[in-house]
Amino acid sequence: MNTRFSIVLVDIDTDKAEELAVAAENDLRAHERMMSRFDAQGPLSDLNRSAGHIAIQPPQELWEILLLCREYWRRTHGAFDITLWPIHHLWREHLERGEEPSGEDIDHARAQTGFARLHLDEAAQTVRFEREGMSIDLGGFGKGYALERLAASLRAQGVERAFLSFGESSITVLGSHPYGPAWPVGIANMFQPAQTVHAFQLHNASLSSSGTAPFNRMGGQRPFGQIIDPRSGRPIEGYRTMSVASPSGIEAEVLSTALLVTPARDRQQLLSGFSCISAVETVYHSDAEDFAPNIEWKYGL
Amino acid sequence: MDYDSSLSPGSGDSGRAHRREFLKRLAAVAGSSTLLAELPWWAPLRAAPVGDSPADRVRIGLVGAGDRGNLHITNLLRTPGVEIAALCDDYEPHLQAALARVKGAKGFADYRQMLDMPGLDGVLIATPLYLHAPMCLDAFSAGKHVFCEKSLAYTIEECQAIADAYRGSKKVFQIGHQRMFSPVFLRALELVRNGTIGQITQIRAYWHRNNNWRRPVPNPSLERRINWRLYREYSCGLMTELASHHMQVANWFLDAHPVSCAGYGSINYWKDGREVYDNVNLVYQYPNGTNVVYDSLISNRYYGFEIQVMGPKGTIEGESGKLYAENPPPAPGILQLINGIESGFFDTVPIGGASWVPDLKKDTKGQPLVQDEPADDGSSLELAAYANAIRLGEPIPGMMEQACRAGVCVLMGEASMEQQKEIAWPEGFRV
Repeated sequence: MNTRFSIVLVDIDTDKAEELAVAAENDLRAHERMMSRFDAQGPLSDLNRSAGHIAIQPPQELWEILLLCREYWRRTHGAFDITLWPIHHLWREHLERGEEPSGEDIDHARAQTGFARLHLDEAAQTVRFEREGMSIDLGGFGKGYALERLAASLRAQGVERAFLSFGESSITVLGSHPYGPAWPVGIANMFQPAQTVHAFQLHNASLSSSGTAPFNRMGGQRPFGQIIDPRSGRPIEGYRTMSVASPSGIEAEVLSTALLVTPARDRQQLLSGFSCISAVETVYHSDAEDFAPNIEWKYGL
Repeated sequence: MDYDSSLSPGSGDSGRAHRREFLKRLAAVAGSSTLLAELPWWAPLRAAPVGDSPADRVRIGLVGAGDRGNLHITNLLRTPGVEIAALCDDYEPHLQAALARVKGAKGFADYRQMLDMPGLDGVLIATPLYLHAPMCLDAFSAGKHVFCEKSLAYTIEECQAIADAYRGSKKVFQIGHQRMFSPVFLRALELVRNGTIGQITQIRAYWHRNNNWRRPVPNPSLERRINWRLYREYSCGLMTELASHHMQVANWFLDAHPVSCAGYGSINYWKDGREVYDNVNLVYQYPNGTNVVYDSLISNRYYGFEIQVMGPKGTIEGESGKLYAENPPPAPGILQLINGIESGFFDTVPIGGASWVPDLKKDTKGQPLVQDEPADDGSSLELAAYANAIRLGEPIPGMMEQACRAGVCVLMGEASMEQQKEIAWPEGFRV
């Protein structure tokens, strides 16, 4: 998933913990192979290569993932959409050169996006793209899915306390911190990483953050820190982070991007279809010196 | 010792000027290394780089213009202050091909005649194993400096004879174990000595290929001469031709020779009339209970070749040039979380946030030992060291010991497999 995975196991003897960690790694690598669009031999690459021409029958688990993604696309009123790759790619190519794509280019890319153009034939369990050039990207789904599966597997093996994290942007906890009633997880100020903007208390829950950034937090090469609004086909404005806590790793992951691209006035209604969600949106306003974080919207807190 | 890309020699015959510049920088690095006590053979590389004057020139005669011999020719042609004055091979096509590559070199079919040639400073022996000892001994008798390809010799007695002849000669001797001059292996040694992987508790090495290990033979009457590696009369097969490299590294890193060894070998796949094993499995026991486990086969290449130096804190893979920490440092936020748990604090850690960064995958895939893969695996530097040592007229310290340890080691392994019993290090062997 192109990031670091960390697992902290508590109250388990070292030998057993090492065994669990190895099993977790194997499990995650298997999920990565299935969901990665960059693994040329993987089933998703296979699908992306061919579904524009013929109906493709993906492996059972990938098929079920696509059905889940459709369900979340509907439940978020289109805000969560796994078909945005062409337009995402277009913006990235241009912004990395310091340009904006033309309206014509955007329209062209938009014609190759939209879950409505992804035809899932439930009888045959096949996938067909309505247009050539379409492409599925599970980047905003895979980590949450993998965490949810891993958490279930650890629970089944008797693990009661654990902290699981993908690059600290997708976190799932089992039970509570050994010295408190929950795992306290602070959302770091992206410009002052030692500062906590908001602290979530997680107990058997997941937390996912998505957002836009002017630069790479590690100070390296400039990455593409943009989120595309599927309705406008344009990146959302400003530097902002949406952090969502949920009992479900998948829902935390899905909602962190869906809420970010949904206007604040419509978010309440979107969330009426979900339960036990809490969320915080941090917006960074630039003044002369620095970017100051401000919590502009919150829910369930 | 730090290596950077500026230390990598240029490739191709792009001129000895680059090479000279490279050696000059290298001399500075070698001179500043805290490891020099363990790298005595680097001493000649600290010498000032040579100029173009005839007095600086070292005249070398190469015996054996086969595969390895030709690689040496390529590297010698790029080494400042070296003249390939003579070429010798008793196989005419190889001799002619080599002479065509080196302008002005004199050709010989018999190495003894080459040794009589006036003005020759040193020889480079790249012949089949069974010829190493007679050629080394004759070269020392003729007052020549000697560079001998690995493995040192065909028998333990011959290894002893070469060591004895060298001891009285005051000549330069060098063995073709190029890893002694590889920046990657030097960095690996540094990490071993500074405790990065902890005490060495085991070394595992393997060399796997999937081919018949044959060279094309133009005429069946030449089979044994060309495919000498396959016949016991000339070679000990996988042990002397491949294993000797990794056994040299093991002895070097453990700073010891093995106490004993036991192994099994057989011909289980390439049953084509060859006489040397096509698969070997051995355990070498070192002082303090450390073992080196070695295997080699030529019917499967999946794992390739590698030497893995293992300790409680990490593993170093010399061939791929990677370090794998047993406990890679956690991400900063995770570290804070763990520290909190371990000290009994219940504290909010500012850990979450959107991340766009594929961070630090190197922790799981191993950290490179040197930042830019050096262009030279040591095969080129070892010749520069040889030439410098001849020019300085000073024997290369530690070199004969490395040659003997590795050479005897692989012959012990061969004996153990052939005699089906444990073989001890030869008592009284003297370097």
